[in-house]
Amino acid sequence: MIELKNISKSFEDNHVLKDISLKFKKGETNLIIGQSGSGKTVLLKSILGIHKIDKGQIIYGEDVYSEMNNKEKQKIRKEIGMVFQGGALFGSSTVMENVMFPLTMFSNFSKLEMEKQARFCLERVNLEDADNLFPGEISGGMQKRVAIARAIALNPKYLFFDEPNSGLDPQTSIVIDNLIKDITLDFNTVTVINTHDMNSVVEIGDNIAYIHEGKKWWTGSSEELMKTENKELSEFVFATKLMRSIKKNK
Amino acid sequence: MNFFYHIGKYILFMRKIIKKPQKTNIFINDLFFEIEKIGINSIVIVFIISIFMGAVITLQTAYNIEQAFIPLYLVGLGTRDSMFLEFSSTIVGLILAGKVGANIASEIGTMKIREQIEALDMMGVNSESHLVFPKVLAAIITFPLLTLFSMFVGIFGGYLAVYLTNAIPVDDFIYGIHYYFIPFYITYSVIKSVIFGIIISSISAYQSYYISGGALEVGKASTKAVVYSSILILFFNVVLTQILLS
Repeated sequence: MIELKNISKSFEDNHVLKDISLKFKKGETNLIIGQSGSGKTVLLKSILGIHKIDKGQIIYGEDVYSEMNNKEKQKIRKEIGMVFQGGALFGSSTVMENVMFPLTMFSNFSKLEMEKQARFCLERVNLEDADNLFPGEISGGMQKRVAIARAIALNPKYLFFDEPNSGLDPQTSIVIDNLIKDITLDFNTVTVINTHDMNSVVEIGDNIAYIHEGKKWWTGSSEELMKTENKELSEFVFATKLMRSIKKNK
Repeated sequence: MNFFYHIGKYILFMRKIIKKPQKTNIFINDLFFEIEKIGINSIVIVFIISIFMGAVITLQTAYNIEQAFIPLYLVGLGTRDSMFLEFSSTIVGLILAGKVGANIASEIGTMKIREQIEALDMMGVNSESHLVFPKVLAAIITFPLLTLFSMFVGIFGGYLAVYLTNAIPVDDFIYGIHYYFIPFYITYSVIKSVIFGIIISSISAYQSYYISGGALEVGKASTKAVVYSSILILFFNVVLTQILLS
């Protein structure tokens, strides 16, 4: 489990995160949603330790991550898999080399074992035939899947996704959503997804946290979200005709 | 204040770079890759610049010696000492600031805006050391070799110039090349090239490592990398000359 206890973060006079407390559970997909500028990216980067928080605690399992020094954090970081918005694949390396990278850096596997593990990860994301291609030669959806394969290469305990469906068509988004859900169950990870894709929210949102003006505004499941009476959340979630009609039909 | 802020930040950046590699075999692979990119891929440009530089120095010196009492072998000596003392290290350094510096800045800058550096950090990789240390070490190894290569090619360029134009007799030129040779000039030039290599690789990496935004910022970082590297090369050229030759 990952627990956030009263975390706050400011950039000079701009208070971006205000006293946020949340729990992200194991084996479930935990979604952070909110409007652009609400602070959800800062929240995700704070959880990851990219931003240093001003107040509060971030706890991974039993370890207070926010109070660790860099050397101690390295140990936790090896248990984290992160999929960035653009994939963040290394352009000069092949798909196989990208997936093998964390293994070459942090495992004591032989080359053969590393290749076997990388191939397993690529098969898991249905990309076994793309191993020799470069990121520039594959589609955006495939790049996201390679990034997922790289993120799971070291069997992480914690998986983070920043806008996993941005720039993808609806069909590919569903493939990615299902993949995230399946991997969360298979690897029993604490999965945290930063998104404003409402389809993901409805389809895979086990636990949802709505961030509004830097505060935790609402938490609940996707079923609860569809019935919410919260004004700000309703305005955000049901902003489109499609979402309003889904709510009506439910 | 901004100047001192950047000096402090640069020192901290360098402290993060010079760390024991997390995986030696990956570091060695990266080092050879960078030696190829920074060193071997610069051979042609260094050859072209040096051969023409040597030829022009020779011809200009020859055409400026009109008085009969000045021995003609001074043309060869002048070409040799100009190449050894200044041109092969400083001018080649300035050219490489453009080629290698811009290349490093655009590579790291692009990685930065595409979140690849954050990805490395998130994996627990010391991104500064992983990305920049092989480049700095490759520059330290290859720049002196390129400088020595430039000396040789420059003198050959001078030889070709006198051979093809008959500006002075070839024998006088060759005598001048051998005349009163001071081996320390080579050491001096090699020391300068090592410092220039460190300046170009680290300043270019520093300029691009902390950018945020998009492609425009990568372009700006590349320009700054070349400008600041060039200014520092000129500054340290004076400092090192005073220290080593005084």
